[in-house]
Amino acid sequence: MSGLAKRSAKFAWPLALIAAAAVFPVVFPNPVVTNYGVFTLIFVIVASAWNVFSGYSGYISLGHAVFFGSGAYALGIAATDWHVTGTATFALLPLTAIVGALIAVPFGLVALRVRRHTFIVITIAVFFIFQLMAYNFSFTGGSIGVSSPFLPWQAATYNNPFYYIALGCAVGTIAVAWLIRRSRFGLQLRAIRDDEDRARGLGVRAMRVKLTAFALSGAVTAVAGGVWFFYLTQVQPPSGFDPLFDLSVVLMAFLGGLGTVSGPILGALIIEPGQLYLTATFTNGYLSEILLGAVFLAVVLFMPRGIVPTGGEWVTRMRTRGRPAITPPAPVAADAETAEARQ
Amino acid sequence: MRPHLPRFSRNALALGAAATLSVGVLAACSSSGSSSGTSSTTSPTSGTSTAANTTPITIGASLSLTGDFSSDGINYEHGYDLWVNDVNKAGGIDGRQVKLTILNDNSSPTQVATNYRTLISVDHVDLTFGPFSSLLTTPADSVVAHYGYAFVEGAGGAPSVFQSPANEADHNIFDVSLPIKDEMVPFVNYIASLPASQRPKTAAYPMADDPFADPPVQLAQQMLSALGVKTVYSKIFPEEAADYKAPADQVAASGAQIVVLGSTDVPTVSAFMQAFEQQHYNPKLFIAAAGPDQGASFTSVVGKANATGVMVPDGWYPGFDNAASKALVNEYVAKYGGTASSMSSDVAEAYSVGQVMEQAVKATSGTDNAKIIAYLHDASTTLTSVQGPVKFDSLGENGESDAFVFQWQNGVFDQVLPASAPGSVSIIGTKPNWAS
Amino acid sequence: MAREIYQAIVDGILVGGVYALMAVGLTLIFGVLDIINIAQGILVILGAYLSYELAARLHIDLFLGLLVTVPAMFVIGVVIQWSFIRPLRGRERTSMTLLVTYAIALILEGLLYQVFGPNFKQLNAWYVTSSVHVFGFYLPYIYLFGFALAVALVAALYALLYRTRFGRSVRATMQDETAARLVGIDTNRVAAITFGIGVAVTAAGGMVYGATSGGFNPNSGYDLISRLLAIIILGGLGSIGGALAASVFMLTLEALVDVWSPNWAIVVFYAALVLVLLIRPTGFFGRQPVRAQ
Repeated sequence: MSGLAKRSAKFAWPLALIAAAAVFPVVFPNPVVTNYGVFTLIFVIVASAWNVFSGYSGYISLGHAVFFGSGAYALGIAATDWHVTGTATFALLPLTAIVGALIAVPFGLVALRVRRHTFIVITIAVFFIFQLMAYNFSFTGGSIGVSSPFLPWQAATYNNPFYYIALGCAVGTIAVAWLIRRSRFGLQLRAIRDDEDRARGLGVRAMRVKLTAFALSGAVTAVAGGVWFFYLTQVQPPSGFDPLFDLSVVLMAFLGGLGTVSGPILGALIIEPGQLYLTATFTNGYLSEILLGAVFLAVVLFMPRGIVPTGGEWVTRMRTRGRPAITPPAPVAADAETAEARQ
Repeated sequence: MRPHLPRFSRNALALGAAATLSVGVLAACSSSGSSSGTSSTTSPTSGTSTAANTTPITIGASLSLTGDFSSDGINYEHGYDLWVNDVNKAGGIDGRQVKLTILNDNSSPTQVATNYRTLISVDHVDLTFGPFSSLLTTPADSVVAHYGYAFVEGAGGAPSVFQSPANEADHNIFDVSLPIKDEMVPFVNYIASLPASQRPKTAAYPMADDPFADPPVQLAQQMLSALGVKTVYSKIFPEEAADYKAPADQVAASGAQIVVLGSTDVPTVSAFMQAFEQQHYNPKLFIAAAGPDQGASFTSVVGKANATGVMVPDGWYPGFDNAASKALVNEYVAKYGGTASSMSSDVAEAYSVGQVMEQAVKATSGTDNAKIIAYLHDASTTLTSVQGPVKFDSLGENGESDAFVFQWQNGVFDQVLPASAPGSVSIIGTKPNWAS
Repeated sequence: MAREIYQAIVDGILVGGVYALMAVGLTLIFGVLDIINIAQGILVILGAYLSYELAARLHIDLFLGLLVTVPAMFVIGVVIQWSFIRPLRGRERTSMTLLVTYAIALILEGLLYQVFGPNFKQLNAWYVTSSVHVFGFYLPYIYLFGFALAVALVAALYALLYRTRFGRSVRATMQDETAARLVGIDTNRVAAITFGIGVAVTAAGGMVYGATSGGFNPNSGYDLISRLLAIIILGGLGSIGGALAASVFMLTLEALVDVWSPNWAIVVFYAALVLVLLIRPTGFFGRQPVRAQ
C-alpha cells in the first residue's frame, strides 16, 4: 500500500464515526434522543477542551465552569443588547469564543503562577467569584438570569440545528486536540506535565505555553456554554456556574483516559447520557447518588489510567497472547552453512 | 511486525464501542413506541371521540425529588399523588382513570428540559404539570410551549416566569397559586390600619438574592415607607450563604420594630431567629416570605414556642375553611402522619394544579391542549381549588387568589390577615419574647 | 457606624472559630497526605448528624457527646483512608484523589439522605441561644465555647506534632515522604492515623456547625467545602495555626464587608484569597514550597 493510502486509511475509523454521528438524527428522529445527543455533544466539547489544557499540562482546573457560564451569559447579553433574534443568534457564537479567551488571559496569568493544589483552589476561588458576580451585577440579570431569543420552530425538529452545530464544534475541538497532541506545542505541554522545571531548563517558555493552552481551552468551553444556553433558552447563576460541572468533566476525562484524544470523548459519551437517564428514572430516594459514587470509586480504583489506555492494553494482550515479545534469533543451522561456505 | 495496535485504530475501536453503547442507552430509553418520531407540531388531540372513551389520561411532571429543592419537591409529589388517588377513586375524569408519571430532575435545568421532552415524546403524555420553583419552570416551559401543551403549575410565581419569552409567545403557563408580588399587601394594610400612636416606626428588610423572595419584600418596603415607617436596614444577601450571623446581627443592631425577611427556606428564617435571640433582640412584628409555611419542617427546627408570633404570607393554610381543603388535610394526615399544622402548603398547591386541570379537561371534554389553553384564558372561566377560586389573566397569573397572612400561635398555624376575612383569628400584635 | 464595625469584628472572630474547627482537619490531611479532601463538607454534616442523634435519642449534651463522636469519626476516617485513598498512586494521583473524595462525598450524602431524609435538623442546648453581655455586645455562649474548643484543639494538635514521637513521624512525612520512609517511618500508618485525626477533629466542627447554622440537611455540605479550601490555602497548607488565623481573618473581613453589602462580602472572601496568593504564594504560614512537583 502506498504511503498516502496508508495514512488515509488511518482516518477511515474517525471518518466513519463522524458520518455515523451525522446521520444519527435521521436514524433516530425522536426529539428525546436528539436531546440526549445535544447535551452529550456539548460535554464532548467541554471534556475535550478541558483535557487539552488539564490533561496535557497536568494542571487540574476546577474552574472551567467560569468559561462555560461566561459563554452562556455573553451570548445572552449580546443577543438582548443588540436585538438579535432567531437563527441569527448562532452567528454570535464566535463572540463567546473571544469572551472565553479574554477571560482566560488574566485568569491564567494569576492562576498559572502556582502549581498543583494551590492552582486547583485558585480555580475554585475564581469560579465562585464569577458565580457571585453573576448574582450581583444588574447586566447579568441578577438571580433571574438571562433568557435567549425565542425560536418559533417545530418541536419535532427543534433539536436538529443545535445537534449539528454541536457536532461541528465537537469535530473541530477533537481535531484541534489531535493536532496539538502531535505537534511540538503538545510536546511542550507534556514536558511541563512531566517535570516543569526541567522543561524550563530545556528552553520551554512555560508560562506562554500554559497560557496559550488555557486560552484555547477556555475559548472552546465558552462556545459550548453558548450553545448550551441557546438550547436551554435560559441561564441563571447557579446553572451557568454550577459547582459540580467541573467535577463531572474531570470524571469524564479521567474515565476515558486523561491526556488521550479519545479518552474525554469516551467519558462524555458514557457519563452524560447515563447521568440524564439515571437521574430521571431513579426517583427512589438517594440510591442513585450512592450508586454513582460507588461507580466512581470502582473506576478510579480499578481502572486508574482510564478506559482507552487500559482497553488498549487489554486488546494488545489479547492479540499477542502466547506470542513472545521478541522474536528469537535465527536457529543454529545458519552457522553450519557459513562453516561450509568457508571451507 | 508491530505487536500492538496502532494508537489510532485502538482509540477508534474504543470510540466505536462507546458510540454503540450510547446508542444502546438512547435506543433503550426511546424504545417505548417512538419508532417514527411522529410527535405532532400542534397539540396532540387524543380522547376527543364521541363514544365513551375509557383510555387512561396520562399526565407527566418533573419534580425535584433530590437536590436543592428536594424538601419541597417531595411535598409536591405527595400533593400530586393525593389528587390522582382522589380522582381515580371517584371514577376518573369523565370515566377515564388518570395515570401520572413523575420524573426526577435533581433541581437541574438541563435535566428538567430532558425530562419534559421524554414525557412528551417518549411517554406521549396527554397533559403536563409543572415542576417546582420559578428557576426550573422557565426552562421547562420552553420545551413544553413548543409542543403546544398547557403548563399548569403551582410553584413558579416569580414575575420572571410570566415574562419569559416562551410564555409571552405561547401564553401556556398557568400558575394556580398566589402571584407573589402582592403577597405582603395584607400585612402592609394591617400596619396602615393601626392608629398612628401604635404604629411601628422602623423596619428592616433583609432579603435573599432570589426572584421569588425579593419582589414582595421590596413592594412592602415601598408601601411602608410611604406610610412613614422608616427603613433602617435594607440589604440583599446571597441565597446560598453558609452563615447568616453577620447580616442578622446587623438587623438586630438596627433595633427595627418590624422585620420583613425575604427568605426562601427554613434554615434562613431559623438562622435569623437564632441570631436575634442571641442578641436579645425581639422585633415587635416578624414576617418572612417563606419558611414558616412549611409546617412541621419549620417548627421542628425553631421550636413551637419560638415560632409563636412569626408570620408568613400565603394563599392557603391547613385550617382553610373550604370543604375540599379540609378533606385534603384529613387525607394527608391519614396517609403521611403528623397533624394538620405540620402540613406544608406545597401539598395544597400541587393538589390545586390537579384540580384545575381536571376542570379544564371536563369543560373541554377531552385532552386537547389548544382547547384547554383557550378555556383557561377565557375571561369568564373561574375555577375552584383547595386554595380558593382560580382565574387566569393573559399571562397566566391567578388574579382571583387572595393573599392571606398566617401566624404561628402556640403550635397552631392560623390565618390572621386580612382581619376581616372569614376564618381569621385575632393577630398577636406584639411578638412574644424568645423562649429558651 | 462604629458600633456596626465593632459588631462585625466580634462576629468575624466568633464565626472564625467555628470555621477553624472545620478547617483544621482539612489542612492536616492536606499537609500530610497531599490531597484535597472534597468530602470534608459532608464529613462536617456527618459529625452534625452524629451529635444530633446522641442529643435527640440519648439526651447527651452536645459537648459531652463529642467524647463519642470524635473517636467514632476517627475510626471512620481511618477506614476511608485505608480502603480508598491508600491505593491511589501514580502520575494522575491528584485527579484520582479528587474523584475518590468526591465519590465518598456522594456516597455519604446518599446514605445520610436515606437515613435522615431531606428535612432540616438543628442542634439545641441552653448555650446555643443564650449569650453573655460584654461591653455592650452580646456574645453567644456557643460561639465562645466553640472558639475555646478550636484553640484547645489547635494546642492539642501542636502538642501532638511537636511533643510526641508520632508527631515527629507526621512532620517528617509532611516534609519529605521518601526520606521519611528511608529512615524507617511507616508512612502508610502515619497517613492512615493522620487522616483519622483530621476526620476526628471535624466531628467537633460538625457539632458546632450544626448548632449555629440555623438548620442543616445532607445538602448543606457543598457551600462549606469551597470556603474551607480557601481558608486552608490562605493559612498555608499543613499549618494548623495558620488555619485558625486564616479563619478568623477571612471571616472578619467578610463580616466587615457585610456591613456595606452582604452580596459582595462573599466575593471579597475569594478575591482576598486570590490577592494574597499573588503576593505570597505559600499563604500566611505555609512552609511547603508551592512550586514543588
